[in-house]
Amino acid sequence: MNPAAVFVLMLGIGIPLTFIKSVILNVVVSSVCLAYLLFCKVKPKTLLTMLLVALPLAFGSYVSQRFYASHDQVHIAWIYATRIIAYLNLGATLTLPNSVENILFNLAEHLNFSKTFVYGMLSSFNMIHTIRVQWKRIRYSALVRGERYRLFQPALYLRIIVVSLNLSGDLAQAMTSQGFSEGFPRSRYEKDELPVWQWLLVSILIVSYVACAIIFKPW
Amino acid sequence: MTSLRLADVTFSYDDCEGPIVENFSYELDEGTISLISGPSGCGKSTVFKLMAGLLPQYGGKILSGKVLLENAEIESVVPFERAKRVAMLFQNPNRQFAMKTVFSQFVFALENLQLDHQEIEERINDALKRFELEDFKDRNLQELSGGEQQRIALALVYSLKSSVILLDEPFANVDPENRSKLLEDLKRLQKEQRKTILISDHDSSGYFGIVDHWYRFSSQGFVEKDVNELKTREQQPKVIGMPKNDARLFWDDLGFEVSKRKLLSNSSFCLPTGQIGLLSGKNGCGKSTLFACLCKLHEKTGKITFDQKDSDKIKLSKWAKNVGCAFQNSLDQFIKLTVEEEILASRKNTRHKDYWSEERIQKAIKALNLTGIMKHSVYRISGGQQKKLQLLVMLIMAQPILLIDEPFAGLDQESLEVSCSLLKETVENLQLSVLLISHQRVRVVSFMDYEISLENGILKEVSA
Amino acid sequence: MQTYDAKKKKKTWALKDVIFLAVIGIFFGIIYQVWSYAYYAMAATPLKPFANDATLGVWIMAGPLAGVLIQKIGSSVIGEMLAAAVEMLLFSSWGASTLISGFVQGIGSELGFAATGYRDWGKRGLLLSTLFTTIITFVWDLAQSGYMEYHLPLLTVLFVVRFISIGFFAGVLVAMIAKMVDKAGVLKK
Repeated sequence: MNPAAVFVLMLGIGIPLTFIKSVILNVVVSSVCLAYLLFCKVKPKTLLTMLLVALPLAFGSYVSQRFYASHDQVHIAWIYATRIIAYLNLGATLTLPNSVENILFNLAEHLNFSKTFVYGMLSSFNMIHTIRVQWKRIRYSALVRGERYRLFQPALYLRIIVVSLNLSGDLAQAMTSQGFSEGFPRSRYEKDELPVWQWLLVSILIVSYVACAIIFKPW
Repeated sequence: MTSLRLADVTFSYDDCEGPIVENFSYELDEGTISLISGPSGCGKSTVFKLMAGLLPQYGGKILSGKVLLENAEIESVVPFERAKRVAMLFQNPNRQFAMKTVFSQFVFALENLQLDHQEIEERINDALKRFELEDFKDRNLQELSGGEQQRIALALVYSLKSSVILLDEPFANVDPENRSKLLEDLKRLQKEQRKTILISDHDSSGYFGIVDHWYRFSSQGFVEKDVNELKTREQQPKVIGMPKNDARLFWDDLGFEVSKRKLLSNSSFCLPTGQIGLLSGKNGCGKSTLFACLCKLHEKTGKITFDQKDSDKIKLSKWAKNVGCAFQNSLDQFIKLTVEEEILASRKNTRHKDYWSEERIQKAIKALNLTGIMKHSVYRISGGQQKKLQLLVMLIMAQPILLIDEPFAGLDQESLEVSCSLLKETVENLQLSVLLISHQRVRVVSFMDYEISLENGILKEVSA
Repeated sequence: MQTYDAKKKKKTWALKDVIFLAVIGIFFGIIYQVWSYAYYAMAATPLKPFANDATLGVWIMAGPLAGVLIQKIGSSVIGEMLAAAVEMLLFSSWGASTLISGFVQGIGSELGFAATGYRDWGKRGLLLSTLFTTIITFVWDLAQSGYMEYHLPLLTVLFVVRFISIGFFAGVLVAMIAKMVDKAGVLKK
């Protein structure tokens, strides 16, 4: 499916998921997502690792509710534990099968996201290696002076801001000199299609999910 | 043909500071290649960015005068229209790409010009073929060397069909082989396509027979010089001396890679105590990366030891107590807000509290001419002042091992002299081991005790 | 040759602003990787609600920081959303929940500045911003993280912990950073 459609689906299910208290529906959402991910040929090993990493967090939700919930602890504990997993799988349907570029391009193409944002984000993502090197340098610059940056020191953030300003200035100027013009049209070399049936499918899935929750109130 | 000229331009980055460019007039001679040389910080970059229309869009103000592209003020020309006429290559090759791969970068730029699918494809293929870069089409841009990146950038500019090409210190991170390739390509573009090309470079070697005009930018102003003078190559002075054997820092079988390219292998050396060594080598050969390895900031193979202790077994914070590093970019160094605070911070944690007495520090501040700016923000002083401050705070820290990357860039003659003397004096008195990178050799090498050179992945002693 | 009024453009979001905030977002992502181990260890136990609330301040700093740095309408919410998008696309696969909570947090801090009519980006604006963020994220967690199932005393404690965390990181610390940036003179307005 087109990432733009998946994005809408993710939010369309994700937002009501916050209010719908049902273990069964959480499990259904999780399973459908997992099936979709496998269908998209995401490696089962990746999925397994992802689930294993999230498990302790789900467990934390579970025991917290068992400890503190004011009523019906078991049911409620299961709701919030499965909700964590459902969120995770839902998010993975967008991020695992698609490249960052692909997601952002399609959001711009089909959901009218600002191109300034799309290309601004993309270009900064490509700087991640440079940013990591800079981060190491920032830390070393303090160590070499016998100090150490802590998370709560404003001086650390000043450094981050200075580096970010320089990087963003250089990059934005280069992009401008290559013709990027904010607010002006661009052509597209390659377009990903988003057929109407995908929008239809997305709508049906969201509506039936919410309807199910309201009408049947599953456990 | 595209006309581009600055008409009596006065430009300032900031209302409180004086203008960086004053009453400046210059017109590009169409169809020629021109070279502008001059020290860093003289305003070359500012002029280039004014001509590309990036200033004042990205800061500052034109106080008087105009920058005219085909008789329109360039500021008001939409960027994609500018790009068809004027394009620029930047100093930091890896900061000029928005996309991941070579191909997608071309697509990005050509989409900006609103070209259709077929036109985009044709232009990409044509450009890659012309510059013999077909093999690079699907390569990741961030994994290319500085030289390869600049060649891609030039091909990109070619595909935009811009008739004016501005190159601002384009060879700072480019190895000599790619530099001469690029110069050949530029000459070809001028001859075959009548492109107008303007290059700024602090190093004027290798331009004879290529450029039609040569200008020098300095505090005295902007003057055209005779291109025939480019023929006489300045003699580069040599370092006289040999490294001693007495050392605390050793490396053995050291090697490292940058973006999957091996830049050093099987290197062994001991860094002599009480001496200053010059680490030389062509642009892009890995000098700064060698420093990063010695600071444990870059992956390496082999072994580095300090006082017989293996670097892999020492925590970074402890390692930094013995191995100091002055980064090439001064702004990567400073941890405080004002000049005074910077000096105080070093004084607090120096390895030689007795040596760096209040009196000695004040003397150094005065010699470096920093007295008047003690309360200033380190971010608001000039590049030269930043360099001097950076050197001072690292000398006060006085780690037994000190690696210094380009400490003299942009310094005037007097500052250079004072900096070198201070460095020499400190090293001798405290018996530090210093390794230093400096592209400037004139008036510097007499302070150096030995030279090692990094060339084709091999580090070797240079003896005069 | 197409021309435009370059001066008029300055009010809207510029490419440089977007990249600036996104790069800061990536730095935060790197910081969070370190920070998240502590959170992770606590979140696997019944201490999870406390871990959530005590660390929340760090997660939401990006919003008010973007606010005081860019000082445009929407900068907090956009700054926070950008940080969330960076987090979602580069560092984790939580997708929906990262984006949604980013939005909720961003709205919280945006409302604070909006309440001053976007005139005060200093202490008053930040105080209001932390207050709104605390309330709005808390209300959201009543539903999302099941806080509404908890007893009132626990809720009170959590609320206070959250306000302290947000107040420090998204309030006091951001104010200190803003002051430093101002003194350093790196941002020209």
